[in-house]
Amino acid sequence: MNNQQRPSFEQDAMPIGEILLLLILFVAGLSFFLFSQQGLRLDEAQSLWQAYHSPLKILQIVSEDVHVPLYHLILHYWQILMGEGLEQARMLSLIFFALGIPALFLLGRSAYNSSVGLYAAILFAVSPFMNWFGNEIRMYTLLTLLAILSHYFFLKILRNQTGWLVWTGYFFVSLFGIFTHYLYFLLLCSQWAFAFFQRKQISFAAIRNFFIVSLLLGIVFSPWIFYIVMNESSPNAVPHLASPTSIDLLNAFSQFLFGFQTTHFNTIILSLWPMTTLFGFLAIQKNRKISLEATYFLVTLFVPVLLLFLVSITLQPAFLSRYLIFTVPSLYLLISWLFFVYPSKIATFLQITLIALMIGSLLFEVTNARNPEREDYKTVSAYLLQNAAPQDIIILSAPFTIYPILYYYDGPTQIATLPIWDRYQRGPIPPFDESALPDQVRQLGDHHQKAWLLLSYDQGYKEKIKMYFDTRFERLETRQFSPGLTLSVYRLRYDTPDLNL
Amino acid sequence: MARQSFSQPNNATKSLKARTSVVLLVVNGTLALLHFGLLAFWFETGNIYLYAILITGQIFYLWQTFTFIYTVWGIKDETDQPITKLFFPKVDVFIPVAGEPAGVVEETLKGALAMHYPRFKIFILNDGYVAGKENWREIEELALRYGVACITRKIPGGAKAGNINHALKETTSNFIAVFDADHVPHVDFLKVTMPYFADWKVGFVQTPQYYKNHKQNLVTGAAWEQQELFFGAICRGKNRQNSAIMCGTNMVLRRTAIEEIGGMVINNVAEDVVTGMLIHEHGWKSVYIPKVLAEGLAPQDFLSYYNQQLRWARGSIELLFKRNPLLQKGLTLAQKIQYLASATFYFSGVAFLLSALIPIFYFYTGLVPFVISTVSLAIIFIPYIFLTLYNLQNASNFSYTFRALAFSLSSWSIHVQALLEYLFKKRGGFVITSKTQIYGNFLYLVVPHMAYIALVVIGIGVGILREGISASFITNTAWAFIYIALFTPFIKAAAPEHVSLPVAEIPREESIELSPQPQKEHIL
Repeated sequence: MNNQQRPSFEQDAMPIGEILLLLILFVAGLSFFLFSQQGLRLDEAQSLWQAYHSPLKILQIVSEDVHVPLYHLILHYWQILMGEGLEQARMLSLIFFALGIPALFLLGRSAYNSSVGLYAAILFAVSPFMNWFGNEIRMYTLLTLLAILSHYFFLKILRNQTGWLVWTGYFFVSLFGIFTHYLYFLLLCSQWAFAFFQRKQISFAAIRNFFIVSLLLGIVFSPWIFYIVMNESSPNAVPHLASPTSIDLLNAFSQFLFGFQTTHFNTIILSLWPMTTLFGFLAIQKNRKISLEATYFLVTLFVPVLLLFLVSITLQPAFLSRYLIFTVPSLYLLISWLFFVYPSKIATFLQITLIALMIGSLLFEVTNARNPEREDYKTVSAYLLQNAAPQDIIILSAPFTIYPILYYYDGPTQIATLPIWDRYQRGPIPPFDESALPDQVRQLGDHHQKAWLLLSYDQGYKEKIKMYFDTRFERLETRQFSPGLTLSVYRLRYDTPDLNL
Repeated sequence: MARQSFSQPNNATKSLKARTSVVLLVVNGTLALLHFGLLAFWFETGNIYLYAILITGQIFYLWQTFTFIYTVWGIKDETDQPITKLFFPKVDVFIPVAGEPAGVVEETLKGALAMHYPRFKIFILNDGYVAGKENWREIEELALRYGVACITRKIPGGAKAGNINHALKETTSNFIAVFDADHVPHVDFLKVTMPYFADWKVGFVQTPQYYKNHKQNLVTGAAWEQQELFFGAICRGKNRQNSAIMCGTNMVLRRTAIEEIGGMVINNVAEDVVTGMLIHEHGWKSVYIPKVLAEGLAPQDFLSYYNQQLRWARGSIELLFKRNPLLQKGLTLAQKIQYLASATFYFSGVAFLLSALIPIFYFYTGLVPFVISTVSLAIIFIPYIFLTLYNLQNASNFSYTFRALAFSLSSWSIHVQALLEYLFKKRGGFVITSKTQIYGNFLYLVVPHMAYIALVVIGIGVGILREGISASFITNTAWAFIYIALFTPFIKAAAPEHVSLPVAEIPREESIELSPQPQKEHIL
């Protein structure tokens, strides 16, 4: 690509360092003033619970989960160092996110030029999707940061700018990556596929080194696989998700750009899909070939997404936009490059429009009470603390939602789950059995006045449980605290006066 | 009228590069089929008439996609075969003129005289007299000044083809090179083209119609960028199937071949293409050399562009209906497909219009061709369209542009006009493309496009009032917006420029009727 067409920021002596610093301050400020108001979400509670244990126990717990342990181990030591508060734990994700901003700039500058790098960094900083996970106690921003670094080293290898430092960097980033999330392997697959198709452009030594790196990664990762198999926990190492549809596929891209929005907003965004055709038309410019770097980012964006989608519809549903967060840098760099290809007036208009839309979406995402990702366990716990009596029982379903409730709730009421799950017993959460439901409800409700049934995270049986309670007990109250988080109160017995409602 | 001065021809031979990736073409074809299959057979149909309209358009696009893939399949950016044989027969060089400014003709003449070739004779075929042009004597004086022959017809008929046929009778060489009045040959034109005739089966050799003024303005730029795709990938592909398209200029003919078919065809607006097809029918081979060996002028204003496109569209439609390539016995199957693909290109405007009307129908009636979530369609359509665009770019060696695409798609009004003129038997004239820029307001030529925009704007209001901001409404609005974005460069080109002439000075018609009018022939 001809980079001389438009002045780069170096030529304009733009204060890049200052801009990057401002972007970091922006995400930090956003985190402090807006995201910090949000309560603990289920996944965060799970991370905290897992990281609370000893390192060896963490390995065991995580091996029974759908993840790999690096982030939890880092979080464990981070909490020892910084304290166990919610804010401190979230700060770790925020640091990875903030580091991603200059890293993406460097990657963009290395792949194209400063203008592309800076614009990609701006998109990254104002991204509702990235900000969401930059404030969540999960491994996703670490995963993204590692993906950016991996791209950086990989591009250097592709350009034969290799040395022991580059290969070492690539190896360790890949190593951390595969121990941060299983789906990091999709990134490696797309990189290796790309290297294979570009084998004529890279040296024999590089191909040999790729082979060695792959072998080493396999060797280092195999004990973990062995450990999972030995623990007989592999059946749990897959998420319980519904099979994705084409809407989910497009929705993932919509979320990458505009974050988690209401159904109506998403409908509007997805319905605008023909506009992508226009973006394609506008990119048809004389002598503007798709560079090696752009092809690389196209591959590392679409190959993982499509592979996961295909696997999800054919073998095992595992399609979640967050699992694919490592493709976001590729997307933002491609958009930045595409805008750079456009005629300058159109490019400027689109650049400003996209940033404005993303900032608007970001604010809407944080402030909108109907955000589908919002999980207000904090408020519901406070409500339970205030209203549930010792003679009542709090019943949670799905069972794993017990983690965020336990984080906030320290009242006297007994807490149980449906299906009944003893989380101190080793093994997976028992599956839902509709025929066992009456016995389980009887077992839980026998000695209690009221049941506070909190339903969230539908695992395919939420409606059955609700129906069961609705048809057998008097419902006293129903409240929705956030999308998908509903609390219903049922009277179980009539022989004790109700003092609470 | 403003005269454009141009630099001397750059005689460094430029090759029109092209390449394709077989893998990407296969994926593209597969996606095209998948996309069509989903639309035609999978989705639940809505309004049956809209469904029929959409499917008709899609069948045409499928045909275009596959003929494009068939044409460019396996072409490589290779250099041409080295010329091994020395072959220097005598050549007559024809420069047909019909009122072009003497200055333009002089440039061509000087280029022709400078050709490095041992034996050739130049003839200016002066049709200025029969065309009623004032400068016909000026052309004769020009010929005299440079010491070249000038054949001035006094009996009209057959336009440029008639002019050449007339000159064929007056000349004797076995080979005839033809240059339009504004196409300046490079010094190596004959040296490069003639050795191909060492193969006695070669009937004609064609070279690209390069526009040296392509940087002049929006129109010349878009015109050349469209040509670049045609003379790059498409002509290379056609050449591989012995189906080179004769373009009427920058070419060399074998006299035996042209005489065997009775001279240049005169009863078709696109006489050159039909002549080439007849030569193929008679078993002659053709050669296309993808090297710029002559430099000409693109239409410099919207009116000239419009008239040129209308002539080509009209000629192709005539070819299709009067000499359908499928029915021509002498052509090979590959040649039939290639000629059919070229002729049917000018139906793309009809197909495009049908597609563009679907959002309009939706706005005003709420009718849709499919009862689906169009998002499902997007999964196939987006990769399909992007891959098609990439293959197009790749084939043209990344020379194709948005404005070329916009001009090509916005020419639907020209294609529809050509079809209607043919169907209603309106006489078509051989309108010579003006060699100088005509200034003026040509917005009257894009009234259909402006009407479309008006219909969309009002339609959006109607749509909102009827059903609010629904998913279908947004998708249809997005499509309508894309069509408008495509029309924008076309409308911009038609809009008046800062320098304009009084309407009275704008030559609206430079038409030579095809029907012969017997007059006394006079040769100088």
